[in-house]
Amino acid sequence: MSSARNEIQKGMENIRATEEMKRNTLHYLEAQRDRKYRGIFQRMPYRALCYAMAVICIFILTGTGGYSVYSRPVSYISIDVNPSIELAVNRFDRVVSATGYNADGEDILQHVSLENISYLQAIDRLLQDAYYSRFLNRDSPLVVTVVSEHSDTMLEQINRNDTFQSLDAKTYSSDTACMEEAHQHEMSFGKYRAFLELSQYDDSITVEDCHGMTMGEIQNRIRSCQGHGGSRTTEQHSNGHSGKHGHH
Amino acid sequence: MKSTEDVNRVMEAYADMVRRICFVHLKNRHDTEDVFQNVYMKYLLYEGSFESIEHEKAWFVRVTINACTDWLRALSRRKWVPLDVLAEESVMPGDPSKEVLEAVLRLPEKYRDVIYLFYYEEYTAVEIAKILKKKENTVYTWLSRAKDILREKLGGEWS
Repeated sequence: MSSARNEIQKGMENIRATEEMKRNTLHYLEAQRDRKYRGIFQRMPYRALCYAMAVICIFILTGTGGYSVYSRPVSYISIDVNPSIELAVNRFDRVVSATGYNADGEDILQHVSLENISYLQAIDRLLQDAYYSRFLNRDSPLVVTVVSEHSDTMLEQINRNDTFQSLDAKTYSSDTACMEEAHQHEMSFGKYRAFLELSQYDDSITVEDCHGMTMGEIQNRIRSCQGHGGSRTTEQHSNGHSGKHGHH
Repeated sequence: MKSTEDVNRVMEAYADMVRRICFVHLKNRHDTEDVFQNVYMKYLLYEGSFESIEHEKAWFVRVTINACTDWLRALSRRKWVPLDVLAEESVMPGDPSKEVLEAVLRLPEKYRDVIYLFYYEEYTAVEIAKILKKKENTVYTWLSRAKDILREKLGGEWS
C-alpha cells in the first residue's frame, strides 16, 4: 500500500496553485478589505448618515455646552464713580459682559473693551484709561461692589492692584437679591447698595433721587448723616477686606 | 478581519493543498479559481483564532471541502466526468500517476476526500473523522470501500 501512496503523492505533486492564482486571489482579498473599510457610505448610506448625524450632534452639543459654561456668569462686579459699570464674570474669572448703568457708563464702554479678559485685567484697563480717569477725583471716590460666592477672594485680588491702591477706593460685597432689586430700578447694584445704606439714615431719600446723584454725592450724604450722630453702621472698607453686605 | 501578513502566510502555506482539494472535487480550473478565492475570503473574514498550525490546516481542509460541495450544489453539477480537469493539469501523457489520479477522480465524492487526506496529507482515520466531523467508523468504511474500488480499477499494488 506504500506504493499506492507513492503513486497518489506523485500524481498530486503536480497539482499546485499557480503563482497567477495566488496573485489574483491576494489582489481580490485586498480589494475586498478596502471595500469593507471604506464602503460604508456606498453600501449602507442610511446607517452611514445616522453615524454622521450622531457625530455632528455630539460635536454641536459639546460645543454648545462648552460655550454655555463659558458664557454663564457666576460673579458680578459693580464699578461706580459717576460712571456705573457692571461686569459679569464667568467661573474662569473672565468678563463675559460689561453693562453701563448710566450715560457715563455706556459712554466709557463705547471705547474701552472689557470683555473676554480677566476681571483684574478689566479693572486695570478701566483705571488706566485716560477718559475714565477724568471721573476719578477726591470728590468722586471709586466704589467697587462684588456679588459672588468668592467675593472675599475677589476683593482681595482687586485690592492688590497698584492703581486701585493709589485711589481712595472703597470695596463692598453684596448679594444677588440686592442686585436683582437694583436692576429692577435700572441701577447698578453698587450704587443701589449705597442708596440702601443712605436710606437707613435718611428716610426721605428715594431711588429716583439717587439716580441723579453721583456715587461721590451719595457717599458724602452718608458721611454727613453719620457725622450727625447716625448710629447704624455698614460693613465698609477702604482699600481693605470686605464683609457681607446687601440688606435691602 | 485577518491582517495582510496573515493572509500572505496562509497563502504560501496552504495554497497547494487548497488547490488539490479543489482538484479532486471540481470540474475545471475556472471553478477551482472561484472556490480558491472563496476559501481565502472566508479566512480573511474569520474572526476566530487557531490553537495551533495543525488546527489552522485542518480548518482550511474542512472549509475547502465545504466550499467545493457548496459550489457544486449551487451549480447542480453533481454528475460530471472528471477527465476535463485532468486534461487541464500538467500531467505527462503515459505517466502512471495519471491513471491513478483518473481512478481517484472517478471515485464518489466522499471517498475522494478520505483518499486524498489519507494518502497525500497523511492524516490518520481518527484525524480525518475530526476534520470531516464524521464518525471514525464511517471514515474507516469509506477508506476501505475506496481502496476496494481503486484495487478493482488499478489492480497491482492496490491489491
